Amino acid sequence: MSVMLLENLHVEFPIYGAQRSLRKTFFMRATGGLIGPGTEKHRLVVKALDGVSLRLESGDRLALIGHNGAGKSTLLKVMAGVYEPTAGRVLASGKITSLFDVMPGLDWEDTGYENIITAGLLLGMEREEIEAKILDIEQFSELGEYLSLPVRTYSAGMMTRLGFAVATAVDPGILLIDEGIGAGDSRFADRAARRMREFIDRSKILVFASHNEDMIKAWCNKGALFAAGKLMQLGEVEDVLAAYQAAAHNGTA
Amino acid sequence: MKDDAIAVATPLVRTGTQDLLCGLARVDLWGRLGWLEVKRRYRRTAIGPFWSSISLALFVVTLGVVGAGLWNQNLAEYLPYLTSGMVVWVMISTTISEACMLYVSTGNLFRHMQFDFSLLAYALVWRNFIVLLHHLAVYAVLVLLLAPHVIGLPLLLIVPGMALLMINGVWLSLLLGMSCLRFRDIQQVTMSVVQVAMFVTPIFWPIDQLQGTSRMVFVQLNPLHHFVQIVRAPLLGNVPDLENYVVILLVTVIGWALTFVIFGRFRRRIAYWS
Repeated sequence: MSVMLLENLHVEFPIYGAQRSLRKTFFMRATGGLIGPGTEKHRLVVKALDGVSLRLESGDRLALIGHNGAGKSTLLKVMAGVYEPTAGRVLASGKITSLFDVMPGLDWEDTGYENIITAGLLLGMEREEIEAKILDIEQFSELGEYLSLPVRTYSAGMMTRLGFAVATAVDPGILLIDEGIGAGDSRFADRAARRMREFIDRSKILVFASHNEDMIKAWCNKGALFAAGKLMQLGEVEDVLAAYQAAAHNGTA
Repeated sequence: MKDDAIAVATPLVRTGTQDLLCGLARVDLWGRLGWLEVKRRYRRTAIGPFWSSISLALFVVTLGVVGAGLWNQNLAEYLPYLTSGMVVWVMISTTISEACMLYVSTGNLFRHMQFDFSLLAYALVWRNFIVLLHHLAVYAVLVLLLAPHVIGLPLLLIVPGMALLMINGVWLSLLLGMSCLRFRDIQQVTMSVVQVAMFVTPIFWPIDQLQGTSRMVFVQLNPLHHFVQIVRAPLLGNVPDLENYVVILLVTVIGWALTFVIFGRFRRRIAYWS
């Protein structure tokens, strides 16, 4: 049984621009914050998440819905443990698998096989586990001899196939997917869709951030609507999608 | 039943200590990252890693001839001195300069999941250790040709010497990696300091050439000198002074204590700073 609890999450990104330099920080400290808008309180921040609470259990397939900058991707990254929230906390039991960008640790000079192993290790697999999955990755990606060549020799489509094959080879627990997982040419797209379906079915919990309604409807049973870092509505996926559209038409969300 | 699952749910946070230990345990990952980096550097070259050795050999032989003339040294003594010093110096200076980029250039490794940031420091030190071994090959050849008599029992002391270099390399990488990520000016400062340090630390010039206050400042009070010395002295057939080990022990304890506190406190901000 997997579970994930988000308790009153806040995430604020500091904006470092000119004030990023050591000199300014030093002088700010030295002048006791009297000169310039330099104290911690005045530091420019972007509120990416603002008091989000959620509870997810096995079988939940949640779609994160909202405009660009609503906080969907940030929430996924907090759930993955990339960002520790500025306030609030995340509790989880069970393995967390993230699928944000297809190949973590990709190096263009390394061969396909080398990249498979590096990515696998970064995704939290053991060496033996990865070796056991190589056959599956070889078959699905259909890259054949190319896997022994440096990745820089691949076409964009081949690259996508490799990344997709590796990402979907892991055993997902709590699965976090950010939109834009490409799938290559149309013949490959069908096989990719089937593999993705299987991959998602193996997961205990799915959280999927996307703008693609067809995919959301196909994969998810729950929806969460976000606007400006706040959770606006949580419910059945159709209801939330309808609310999102209504708001979009009214121009309020 | 549902509440059972919640009872076993653990907060998704990692302390500095957990990071340091779990990172160290992932030897498969940092070993690989370090090794691949060395391999990449020589990909598509005909003689591969030996370029590293050759460029060091070229450097020490040419500089050795000039230096021996400048400081009236016997080439058979000066060349092993210069080479052994350079072998260690390259390890120290490359570790420092690469540490500045530790988290600046590696976002695609740690923006996917909870990550043990320490493992990048282990990878960095490991990679520089591999390069150090290549350079030691140059030293071995030179010393067998010029001064085989210096090879003796003290040579065994390079093992603790190199171990101390690496232990200190890790904290320094973490500290510089975090500082340079947050304050990009620090990298520039560090690079300038390292460049100057190469000339004021006794590597090119014999220690005895300097006396008085300057000796105090650039030799005795210069921690870099002591780090060079714990590996160089055994390579030259001597036992390092107790003073060398005392200074290094102090640096190790203070450095790790400082890093431990800072890493524990700011580790969670690394993803935000990048």
